Amino acid sequence: MTTQVATEEKNYLQEGHTLASWLLTKDHKRIAVLYLISVSFFFLVGSIAAMMVRLELTSPRGVLMSNETYNKAFTAHGAVMIFFFLLVAIPAVFGNFLIPIMIGARDLAFPRLNLLSWYFYMAGGTMFLIAMMSGGVDAGWTFYTPLSSIYSNGQITLALVAAFVSGFSSIFTGVNFIATIHKMRAPGMTWWRLPLYVWSHYAASLIIILGTPVVAITLLLVVFERVAKIGIFSPELGGDPVLFQHMFWFYSHPAVYIMVLPGMAVISEVMACFSRNKVFGYKFVALSSLGIAALGFIVWGHHMFVSSQSMYQGIVFSFTSFLVAVPSAIKVFNWSLTMYKGSVWLASPMIYALGFIGLFTVGGLTGLYLASTGTDVHVTATYFVVAHFHYVMVGGTLLAFLAALHFWWPKMFGVLYPEAIAKWNALLVFIGFNLTFLPQFVVGYLGMPRRYHYYYFAPEFQVYHVMSTLGASALAISLITPAFYLTYSLFKGPKAPPNPWAAKGLEWEACASPPIKHNFHGVPVVVGDVYDYDAEAEERALRGLPPKETH
Amino acid sequence: MAISLNKMNQPQDVVYEQFEDLAQQQETYVIGMWAFLVTEVMFFGVMFMSYVVYRWKYQPYFYALHQELDWRIGGINTFILLLSSFSVALAVHFHQKKKKMQTLACLGFTNLCALAFLVIKMLFEYIPKWNHGHYPGPGFTWDNPNIPGNIAQLWYSLYFGTTGLHGLHVLIGIILFSVLMFMIAVDHPAITDYLPTEMLGLYWHFVDIVWIFLYPLYYLMPK
Amino acid sequence: MSEHASHAHDHSHHITPFFTLVKTLMLLAVLMVVTIAWAQIAPEALKGVPPAMASLINNLIAMGIAFVKAVAVIMIFMGVKYQSHVVKTYAALGFVWFLMMFIMFADYGTRHWESVRGWTPETKQMALPRADEPFEPGMPPRKDIHIPDQHH
Ligand code: HEM
Ligand SMILES: [Cu+2]
Repeated sequence: MTTQVATEEKNYLQEGHTLASWLLTKDHKRIAVLYLISVSFFFLVGSIAAMMVRLELTSPRGVLMSNETYNKAFTAHGAVMIFFFLLVAIPAVFGNFLIPIMIGARDLAFPRLNLLSWYFYMAGGTMFLIAMMSGGVDAGWTFYTPLSSIYSNGQITLALVAAFVSGFSSIFTGVNFIATIHKMRAPGMTWWRLPLYVWSHYAASLIIILGTPVVAITLLLVVFERVAKIGIFSPELGGDPVLFQHMFWFYSHPAVYIMVLPGMAVISEVMACFSRNKVFGYKFVALSSLGIAALGFIVWGHHMFVSSQSMYQGIVFSFTSFLVAVPSAIKVFNWSLTMYKGSVWLASPMIYALGFIGLFTVGGLTGLYLASTGTDVHVTATYFVVAHFHYVMVGGTLLAFLAALHFWWPKMFGVLYPEAIAKWNALLVFIGFNLTFLPQFVVGYLGMPRRYHYYYFAPEFQVYHVMSTLGASALAISLITPAFYLTYSLFKGPKAPPNPWAAKGLEWEACASPPIKHNFHGVPVVVGDVYDYDAEAEERALRGLPPKETH
Repeated sequence: MAISLNKMNQPQDVVYEQFEDLAQQQETYVIGMWAFLVTEVMFFGVMFMSYVVYRWKYQPYFYALHQELDWRIGGINTFILLLSSFSVALAVHFHQKKKKMQTLACLGFTNLCALAFLVIKMLFEYIPKWNHGHYPGPGFTWDNPNIPGNIAQLWYSLYFGTTGLHGLHVLIGIILFSVLMFMIAVDHPAITDYLPTEMLGLYWHFVDIVWIFLYPLYYLMPK
Repeated sequence: MSEHASHAHDHSHHITPFFTLVKTLMLLAVLMVVTIAWAQIAPEALKGVPPAMASLINNLIAMGIAFVKAVAVIMIFMGVKYQSHVVKTYAALGFVWFLMMFIMFADYGTRHWESVRGWTPETKQMALPRADEPFEPGMPPRKDIHIPDQHH
């Protein structure tokens, strides 16, 4: 890999300063920036709803809002966070920005489709905001029938259409990634030289194209039922509402992997760079992504153990759910072993990544409790489940998002942020997160149901809820802080060199910070292996020792 | 510049800036389109799966209910779609050979078939059923004592849902084909090779495949 | 740019010959006639066969023919036969993955194996509808229903 960075050349940010140059851009990097702004906005919306939920639960009697308002608040929180943040954030921002660069291409395969996907996302998001503000949605992010199809009023129809439209935005991104990864790799960039980042995104894209249409049409059928009385899930017609759950979870379990696989993608890169080491068992990590994608499709029934699904099917799904934990565990072990004999550098992205590994492990292990039918019957629909999925989604995906943001910020915008604040902030995220969600395991185990706006029947739960709300406040502060120092760095931060972390990979070694419009001068030719860090040599250099003799 | 019907006057074989050469560009488009068709398969998969579940649950009723559909009309429509599929394949064939007239003629024939399909469906199926009150909803009327009305409604829900979505795809096809024909006819510079025709062709064949499964399931099998 | 670029070249310029297309159309038309014809004669042909068996045979024949037709369209009309392995894989992927949904039959097929203590047949009637328990109160059990004679 040759490094050739011409400083005078215009970078992608300088290619145009008008609004139209942004809104009509076909450059994958600019679209990534558009996405970064919009997902941050939706994250803010979702967080406000979350704070409403947390505030309400500080009192056992539910004094702040009525049960209906509460239902709308948690629905808004869940749906916005899942459909408009978690499913989109890492692939559409960092995937978009980095995949072409990492494989040595000038752009994604279909730049116009990429832009269209952003417009679909914005259209879906806007519709959902309108639905929230003009009456609200109270069916939960899962939209179970017959609640969503018959009983619930409010803006369900609009919200469902919004989810449908944003689903297509995902599909476009997935199609684009697949075609790009198959056909646009630079000479020498063989499959076994691909960064694990690209492998994980490939697996996530597969899930997107196989799963998203299923939920899209299922939600559309609920719309049909509400609007045109086409009642495929209607019990009045002899239809089976549980069929909705089958279809919904056929997508939505794999969807949790759409959320977490791109997160795992980030962690692989960050672990390698900040351990100055090859990712341990590269091929296993790469293939485990595909394993997760495939196995993820055969476990959906673990969400339906108590939904009048057959007990026998429950047993099968319990077993397969245990299987799906295996590829996730492979990754966790391999990341941990990557640090072994490496030279660990506790920069802010690394702190987030270490947080990811710990929290994801807790989330995954509690997933196994839930996957055992016997335990699940007791803790299903309690705060135990809430804690489980926040450990994997916040502790996993959100932390990975923050790790990515800090790791690639110098690359994306060509500036350095104040690392000391960032480090302390990463620690605060970790503490705030645990304070919020650890008590929820306990209170859930003791019997606090989810989706209730009060718990006067068990006032002793209050202490856990207050702890959780305090933690959420700390978390909120620690999530606002980066917005400030990162924005500050855009204007006042020192200029970043092309490779501030001395990391490996085309985006660092062959590409300016920020990259030029077509990423590279000419087509890079890849010769070496991926992640060819040499921890020992670097360590020796740091200590002023002579290079090790080679025999 | 005068527009000739016999010669393609567009810029030819343009390679977009993100690609290295034409071959790469073409393969990428084909893979992208197939990835999209995978989503379409799963999309219709849900409709078929719902059908399978309920047919399995209510076998005797569903068998009886299939008599509601006339296999002749469905058969004619099947044949029409086959022809249209064939003519799209021909259109690609001619576009590859850069024969503008023939390409346009084939695309036109395809569009005609698609239109005929929709008209037949409307005139001989949807409208008569609607007039008999056989549509899901409060207005549903049912007087066959052998089949419970709610099951009949469920069946009609599946029927209208599935054929309706398929019909929507046909409609989208008609619109896209019309745009494509116009662009080819006026030598629009965006049409630089046969790929747009091929991509749309892939979509259209897929619409045909859906019908290939839909027809025996809804019209034939229970006889 | 891509490692495949060089040999992909021969694939993408393939022009399917006119007569191949015509032959495929004929094949499709013939298969269509066969499947329709079978549907018409099946009631006669399968007269003595038990209904479950007859339904199985009908399903297999109809879906088998549809499958062959779909393969013909995909391979020739859509040109997958002349494309790379990647395209072939994606062409198959959706159809294979759709079959995953059939896992839910492990649910529908076994729901009623469960015995619920204290449930009499009547409480079962009143319990939430499951897909095989029609909702209309007072409906006769499904096995006793008279199905109009389809065999004329
Ligand atoms: C080790 C693998 C995992 C296993 C075995 C597992 C198992 C489970 C089970 C059994 C439930 C259902 C609990 C109930 O409703 O009673 C559940 C819920 C959930 N899990 Fe996991 N899980 C795993 C990983 C993940 C990951 C990686 C994510 C997301 C990134 C995730 C997100 C969720 C969500 C969102 C729910 C709740 C859905 C809802 O009802 O709203 N899980 N998990
Ligand atoms: Cu799950």
